Amino acid sequence: MNIPKMNPLTWTSIVIALLLIALSIYAIEDLPAFGDENSAANKKIKLFSLDADGLVESLDAGVLPVEIKTRIEDLGFIEGPTCPGCQNENYPTLDEGNYEIKKIEKGAYEGGRIYTEEGWDVLIREGEIFYDEFQQYYFIDEMGEKLNVYRYNWPVRVVERTEEETFIINAVTSGLADYRGYDTMGEETVILTGAIGVILLIRRRGRL
Amino acid sequence: MTPEKKEYKRDVIIEVTTDLTFPLILLFGLYIMIGTGGTGGGFQGGTILAAAYILYITVYGTEKAREKMPESTNALFKSLGLYLYNGAGWICILFSLAAAQWLNMPAFWPITDFVGVSGSRSFLVGYMVSVGIGLTVMASFVSQYFDLAWKEDEEMGGR
Repeated sequence: MNIPKMNPLTWTSIVIALLLIALSIYAIEDLPAFGDENSAANKKIKLFSLDADGLVESLDAGVLPVEIKTRIEDLGFIEGPTCPGCQNENYPTLDEGNYEIKKIEKGAYEGGRIYTEEGWDVLIREGEIFYDEFQQYYFIDEMGEKLNVYRYNWPVRVVERTEEETFIINAVTSGLADYRGYDTMGEETVILTGAIGVILLIRRRGRL
Repeated sequence: MTPEKKEYKRDVIIEVTTDLTFPLILLFGLYIMIGTGGTGGGFQGGTILAAAYILYITVYGTEKAREKMPESTNALFKSLGLYLYNGAGWICILFSLAAAQWLNMPAFWPITDFVGVSGSRSFLVGYMVSVGIGLTVMASFVSQYFDLAWKEDEEMGGR
């Protein structure tokens, strides 16, 4: 049996390539699955919790209780100014016929999201011209004697929870380098690739 | 009709102005680049740093500017920036903090705990990410300008 002689450089590069492949497999394993409830795009913010007596039947019947509606509107999610002389807010309203309540079973897969807890989704029709569909806005779940109300919203979460999640006070930095880290990585790689292309195309020198 | 070969002519006013403003532009670029807690960012800071070197090249010519920014250093900076950024991401993935969450790295980095300020925890990684971006941007722009500004009768030896 004749073992071919190998350059030490070849051995080293094979080992490095195998290490990189192992690292990549590890990274792919580490990525959140599509629809993972705790991934950055799908997380929800807890707004408040209140006593559950008598409200569960109303939710099951598809009617949002007045208590929850007033609490949500007190938080400022309304259409119009929140205080005299303020700028107008433009949140979709919870009027009758404008929303829909859907019971969610545990482990359901809906709207690109896997639900790990059972609860109720509050869908609101925003009144857009070209996309007049019900969209997920609030999530309510029952925990013991209490009802917890969550809100699905990407910008609110980035603004309010950025320090808690990324330990940085600047929301723009956490957006650039954390929530959209792969985007920034690609941008940087594009710049490097452009520089290498310019070097290969127009550099006319013998040495580097 | 071929253009006459011009000798490099010194202009004292331009040179002195450049000498005075060059370190200030570098300082300002550095302030923008590591000011991620405020208004700055890696891309903008890197561009300002590159602008300082481009000013130096236009005033002193490529040959003298090569001493300020040798090509070996330029190539080193270009790849070092990407290594810094991606290294931070790889360390996050290896320690299973989160897949894309670069800035969570201080959660296990004990250096920041010595500082004792909770707000300073992610500053180190914020700096690392920003400085990585800035180094790549700066070195890329400077090397492109060197390649475009180079003329054959200058710098024959290469460096």
